[in-house]
Amino acid sequence: MSKKIKLLIVDDEIKFLDSIAKRLELRDFDVTKATNGQEAIEATHNDKFDLALLDLKMPGMNGKEVLEIIKKEHKYLEVIILTGHGSMDSAVECTKLGAFSYLPKPYELEKLIEILQQAYEARLKNKFSMDQARMEKLAKLATGSSALGILRAMREMDDDEK
Amino acid sequence: MLNISQDKSKTTFDYLPFNEKHYSEFKRNNIVRLLLTYLTPLIILAIYFFYQYDKMVSDSQHLHLKAIAENQSNTFDLFITERIVNLTNLINDPGFNFPPTTEDMQIYLERLRQNSQAFTDVGYLDSSGVQIAYTGPFPSLEKQNYSTEAWYIDLKNKDGNFIITDIYLGLRNKPHFTIAIKRIIGKQITILRTSLDPERMYEYITSLEGAQEVSTSIVNHTGHYQLVKSQVGKPLDASSFMPPKTPKLGIENIKIEKSSSTYAYSWLKTADWALIAQRTADENGNLLSGYRLKILSISLALMALISIMVYYRAGRLVEFQKETDRTRAQLEHASKLASVGELAAGIAHEINNPLAIINEEAGLMKDLLSANFGDPPETRELIQYLDSIHESVFRCRDVTRKLLGFVRKTDMDISPHSIHKIIDNVVDGILGKEMEVSNIEMVRQYDNNIPQMQTDANQLQQVLLNILNNAIDALEDNPGKISITTGLVKKKIQIIITDTGMGMTREQIEKIFLPFYSTKEVGKGTGLGLSVSYGIIKNMGGKIEAESTPGKGSSFILTIPLHSKG
Repeated sequence: MSKKIKLLIVDDEIKFLDSIAKRLELRDFDVTKATNGQEAIEATHNDKFDLALLDLKMPGMNGKEVLEIIKKEHKYLEVIILTGHGSMDSAVECTKLGAFSYLPKPYELEKLIEILQQAYEARLKNKFSMDQARMEKLAKLATGSSALGILRAMREMDDDEK
Repeated sequence: MLNISQDKSKTTFDYLPFNEKHYSEFKRNNIVRLLLTYLTPLIILAIYFFYQYDKMVSDSQHLHLKAIAENQSNTFDLFITERIVNLTNLINDPGFNFPPTTEDMQIYLERLRQNSQAFTDVGYLDSSGVQIAYTGPFPSLEKQNYSTEAWYIDLKNKDGNFIITDIYLGLRNKPHFTIAIKRIIGKQITILRTSLDPERMYEYITSLEGAQEVSTSIVNHTGHYQLVKSQVGKPLDASSFMPPKTPKLGIENIKIEKSSSTYAYSWLKTADWALIAQRTADENGNLLSGYRLKILSISLALMALISIMVYYRAGRLVEFQKETDRTRAQLEHASKLASVGELAAGIAHEINNPLAIINEEAGLMKDLLSANFGDPPETRELIQYLDSIHESVFRCRDVTRKLLGFVRKTDMDISPHSIHKIIDNVVDGILGKEMEVSNIEMVRQYDNNIPQMQTDANQLQQVLLNILNNAIDALEDNPGKISITTGLVKKKIQIIITDTGMGMTREQIEKIFLPFYSTKEVGKGTGLGLSVSYGIIKNMGGKIEAESTPGKGSSFILTIPLHSKG
């Protein structure tokens, strides 16, 4: 893998945040840290992430609210929930809101990395099928159209993606 | 060897908190109590009516018996009077021959017998007391000299002109009695005498209405039978009952051996005799036992009915009680599970976060020490991670320690204290430094009339510290005021701690005393402070209440008895 996976980690426990970030960096992840929901959302606005690790219980905006906003704004950003307050109910709820996986604290790093890899593959697959659909659509629109028409169609599809 | 039930499908968990023995006892107690409640008044009532009936029946029996006696004695008086009138009419008849012949006497007897068959003979006595003319069944009585007979002497000397003798056997040796009338002609006393058949008279009076129910007899003034039923006695025998001379009419109960009899008596007006109407207990008893049987059977039927109903109701009551107990036990069990679950979840969650830190720090140290990841680390860096692990372990310990404090009812160390000293100790001693550097104005308003209290100062300090810490946190480093007011309300100490902080919403107030509930940032509070405080104050026999207006501040009101419970 030539390109580093870009990962956003959101947790209010700074010590936890620092060490997990360091460990994942050692394992070739490109990590950005956020200590609360607001910071996390701002980070997604400034940068493009492949994956996000999200804590649920945080002061201010809680994990679920953050999850909802992120998934609305970035359809292909896969979110993994990491929490010490795990329960079946909240796991189901988060999955419904679009979380890729749900991992209770404390966990084994190997397990987390496995999930991160799966999530990254899922993201690539989704993006690929999206790209393919886009190409097909473009091809359809392009037949018998002028160069200007093709350009307009491409712009329309860009808008759709957002 | 263990005894394990083979049939597992039969093993069902019943929430019933008591065994069957408890319920059968409960049922029995209920039956006894209900039976006592329902049957006692009924039994009292039955007994009352039983005796009331008895009295009523015997009263009416007495009245009836008395009426019979009176009626019979009146009739008897009338009979005697009629006989005297018959004789008087005869002797005063202008056609009466003086002295009469035996033939005359036969005619006269016929005339008398037309009036009454009781006349058996008639005789005429001259002034010397010799019966010079006679007719009747004893012809030998003719020429009989009566001058020495007691009744003759009596009649001769008395003012009245008739006499009735007691029954006597007399010259003819057969019980009879005599009515004699005297007529004075010139200086000569002549007497007409007649014998009356007692049998006839007895038939006459016993043929009266109601006489069949009783046994009637007539006794003379010495208590000897004159007229009597043959089954009861013979004439001239002494009567078992001697009627008193006064009152003239009366009733008495007499018990002879086992049988009791009721005697109604009435003294006659014409003779010195008394009529006695007697009813034996058997006759009374038959009548009474009829009533008694009726009352008894009605009462028994009612008691049986009530007993059946009580038994049925007691059964229903036990079923109802079982259902209630079962439901309550179920609820208790459920709520116990819920609170245990809540606690367990709270501990797990609180501990999970520090555990995750420990996990990561340890993992990171392992990463750094392993050959896979670059250069060996500096010792300083490793010590930093170890410190972090140490701190997280203490965080876990805090959670478990406070939890144990919440669960266990710790023994209180009670001694006399001044509440104001306890507060000052917390504010100046423990919180002192924190207060100095902050912008918080601490106002204390003490009621100096509060006496010394018996309490555990350490526990109370812990409570005050928890509340004051919350108040300081609520101010969020903004300038503000915390006031502590004490007072005495209904012999209990009231401490009101008010802050001008951010306040709480209704939902928050509802949860603040629950374990692990916290509005603070992670790591700042375990959410156990107020629930521990709540437990302590409750143990002391007091209470904590909270009031708040969001944005304006909160008040905690502590009410503690002057003497804490041990």
